[in-house]
Amino acid sequence: MKAMKMSRRGFMKACGIMAGYAVLSVNMTKEVFAAAMNMVGMRQKQVYDADAHIYKVRKSQDNPMVQKIYDKKHGFLHDGPCGHKSHHLLHTEYKDRSASIKALKSKGVTLSM
Amino acid sequence: MRSIEGVMYQGNAPKGVDPDSIFFVQVDTDKCEACGTCEEVCGTGAIKVINDDEIRQVVDPAACMNCGQCLVNCPYGAIYEGVSYVDELFEKLKDPDTVVVSMPAPAVRYGLGECFGAPTGTYVGGKMHAALRKLGFDYIWDNEFTADVTIMEEGTELIGRVKNAGKEGTLPLPQFTSCCPGWVKFVESFHPELLPHVSTCKSPIGMLGPLAKTYGAQETGTKPKKMYTVSIMPCVAKKYEGMRPEMDDSGQRDIDATINTRELAYMIKKAGINFNSLPDEDPDPVLGESTGAATIFGTSGGVMEAALRLAYEVLSGQKLNDPDIKVVRTHEGIRAADVKVPNFGTVKVAVCSGLSNAQKLCEEVKAGKSPYHFIEIMACPGGCVNGGGQPIDPDVRASLFRSMIAKVNRRYNARKPEA
Ligand code: SF4
Ligand code: SF4
Repeated sequence: MKAMKMSRRGFMKACGIMAGYAVLSVNMTKEVFAAAMNMVGMRQKQVYDADAHIYKVRKSQDNPMVQKIYDKKHGFLHDGPCGHKSHHLLHTEYKDRSASIKALKSKGVTLSM
Repeated sequence: MRSIEGVMYQGNAPKGVDPDSIFFVQVDTDKCEACGTCEEVCGTGAIKVINDDEIRQVVDPAACMNCGQCLVNCPYGAIYEGVSYVDELFEKLKDPDTVVVSMPAPAVRYGLGECFGAPTGTYVGGKMHAALRKLGFDYIWDNEFTADVTIMEEGTELIGRVKNAGKEGTLPLPQFTSCCPGWVKFVESFHPELLPHVSTCKSPIGMLGPLAKTYGAQETGTKPKKMYTVSIMPCVAKKYEGMRPEMDDSGQRDIDATINTRELAYMIKKAGINFNSLPDEDPDPVLGESTGAATIFGTSGGVMEAALRLAYEVLSGQKLNDPDIKVVRTHEGIRAADVKVPNFGTVKVAVCSGLSNAQKLCEEVKAGKSPYHFIEIMACPGGCVNGGGQPIDPDVRASLFRSMIAKVNRRYNARKPEA
């Protein structure tokens, strides 16, 4: 009956003394991560295969639609990359968000950095 | 709450809400088994033990960069998404007065097929375009086009910083990429003093939204007000990015909705579309066409390689005969490389994925010890192909099966002494 009243934490602790469980639990995170990275390698390989074999044009500056949008006479972005219109539509500014991190830390939350 | 490709979603489509107040991912405490995998993969320490049962939760939205790595790695499927525009999008697709525009990211086409039984990573770009058309999107525009535009903008910015280095009014080197909203929030939160190093370029989706509602509207004769732009991403953090208040340079909200690969697969299935029998189709003109340089944005090292394909030609004045720049291709972690460019010298670059790795490079730059011209950073290990919005790797949940056996054994063993 005692076991049934244990909190989950107590339960885990009770289990933790068994070497078998300790090993399994450590391996699970590692296993999940290894599985994920294996999947990543396969997806990455397909990306480079498509780049080499499916896409006819392989440099951004050679994309005909890129050349059209930056066309010096009629292009929508005729003043070129980093030009006036680009600056307005395609560039941005960033915001210092460190205050909310400081506030969290002062509440006693420990973060990794 | 509903299950979408094995992940739970709240049907919450916020408008005009401060994205900093939203939990884009959160742990369902009823499903959490206290294994701690999420805490281990989280780069910032945002996900923590909250009670004596060692149940985890994201403690505050400010600490979470919305990368979703905890979610895709949880073996119990206990982590849910807090925002989903799927219902609203279905409504907009039905509405004859709304011109719905698709904007899918590069990495989506290397994950979507998996939801329909294709082997891991299968390229389904053509079928994806066909499926979007079948779903009723009016213009099939493609975020890969603006990946190419990003290279033009960000490459030009980099060349400017390199050529004018040290001159007054020039932004500093190294230049960091700015495509990944997980990384951008990270640097804004933890290293604001490095912000001048971050490229001023918006991400590809940050560029396609406003271009759709200006240039795209012009070219197609559409009223920008009638347009509903849908960002389709391998990502959770892109939902946050789409909601950033400043993303309204077109005069409207630049991005009306953001969904991810899993949600797109769900919509295709829900609409009864037989994905595997679809033909390969092209995107629509003006904002659709793309290159190999754009598609590699989906993997760690891709933005770097694409930028170098431009920088090499501009700096050297010569044609780059072989576009493969394999030294920057990075499976995981950090990679540094020297790229020799004729008539210029050596371009020094670093590629990095995962936020704890990003932290190391940030410290280096702060200490004035960073030798690089250009640094690419992605929050997700391996880049967006491994994004928080991608289909769940069956092997991650397979380890759940193993862990369930472990748990059963554990319970059995724990009871034994009592018996
Ligand atoms: S989404 Fe990313 S930053 Fe947020 S808690 Fe999960 S792993 Fe940590
Ligand atoms: S690496 Fe890609 S998928 Fe991951 S947070 Fe950044 S943009 Fe999103």
